[in-house]
Amino acid sequence: MDDADRLMERVRQRDAAAFEVIYDRYWRLVYGIAFKMLGDANSAEDLTQAVFLKVWSAPQAFSGGNCAAWIARVTRNRALDVLRSRASHPEGAMAIDVPVEGALDEAVFARLDGLRVRSALESLPPEQRQPIELGFFGGLTHDEIARQSALPLGTVKTRIRAGLKRLRTSLEASTV
Amino acid sequence: MNGHDESRLDSIAVLAIGALPAAEARELEAHIASCSICQAEYAEFREAVDALALSAEATPEEFGGARCDLLKERVMNVVRTDAARANPAGEANVVSLEARRARTPWWIPAIAAAAVVIAAVSTWNAAVLRTRTDDLGHQVALLQAQVNTQESSANEARAQLALEQSHLADLVAPDAARFPISSGVVVRGDGRIVVALRRLPPPPSGKTYQAWILHRGAKAMTPSITFSPDPSGLALIELPGSAAGITTIAVSVEPIGGSKAPTSKPLFVRSLS
Repeated sequence: MDDADRLMERVRQRDAAAFEVIYDRYWRLVYGIAFKMLGDANSAEDLTQAVFLKVWSAPQAFSGGNCAAWIARVTRNRALDVLRSRASHPEGAMAIDVPVEGALDEAVFARLDGLRVRSALESLPPEQRQPIELGFFGGLTHDEIARQSALPLGTVKTRIRAGLKRLRTSLEASTV
Repeated sequence: MNGHDESRLDSIAVLAIGALPAAEARELEAHIASCSICQAEYAEFREAVDALALSAEATPEEFGGARCDLLKERVMNVVRTDAARANPAGEANVVSLEARRARTPWWIPAIAAAAVVIAAVSTWNAAVLRTRTDDLGHQVALLQAQVNTQESSANEARAQLALEQSHLADLVAPDAARFPISSGVVVRGDGRIVVALRRLPPPPSGKTYQAWILHRGAKAMTPSITFSPDPSGLALIELPGSAAGITTIAVSVEPIGGSKAPTSKPLFVRSLS
């Protein structure tokens, strides 16, 4: 059981001090994702509050593993709910949790600070970075990305795949 | 369906970032569950996508210190109040959810709630709840594929689904207590309180809505969460913590970040008795 697992176990026991450690550790991540996806500070604050109160009221939803990745997924999904309520986007699919062999563990993830990942993302060619950001942070479907970019759908999909592969390689190199 | 198909690999990357339309996603997830090559590819992409979220982490310059402190204080006030009211082992909330899950298979109440919601909700909140229902249906499909692959990895999403279902169920539960207000309703059920408000205008610039609760025997209102309505003027909020001992709910307009005590005349003050 790693540090995040121990903290979340204490949160399950209604330990406010443990929750505060979780809050201090991840609020920049939660707020940052919310702000990037929703585009204004007020909505980002409301979402940040909602995410952490959900962590407090339903800590059993965390089933172990990478706590930062879990909180990031909860935040993104909540932000997508807000985006969909603002405009009737066709529903994009929430990613499923297929078991990951050799996944980035918490320790490796911890070395991937925001600036390092941002740097890796910015190192991608714009034609690969933009569709990834539009899909992941913008909540657009691949059809919408293709229309917005005036590109064939197949090209968009190929660029997303190439970008993710390149991003992963870049991140692996930065954590060695 | 079961044979590996190279042409699916681009779509798997799109699925990983959550940009595949729901119908295509369901079909692809079913394939991934049965194809080890595609599973490996998807897992590799998900690692990159998990890391991608970190790129959005706010820097101190992007979030003012004062507002940061106010936000934390607001969240911690709710948490500390709730922690103080919980029993030492904190079993009440956990056992409640586990017990709810134990009574029936997880997917049965979700589907039942979806049907009940569609039939029971009034016109003004039907659109939002129908969206929720669609989400639940989609979640069920996602979880089905996931459970086929590995039961343990389904636990997180299953718990979230149960919570969403129970949230909706609060609104339509026959044994829930409803307290109408001029712009909506306050519902107390299953130990929680849900407030649904309609035709709520956007808060003035620099302001937000904030809920307040009064506990039995207390002389002053306790601050609860802040919130904003969606563009249609609808706000559907679940107050954090247990409903036990809460006698009155109020909502007022407050400065961004919330207040420790109401600074404006409340939109409503509703006694829960």
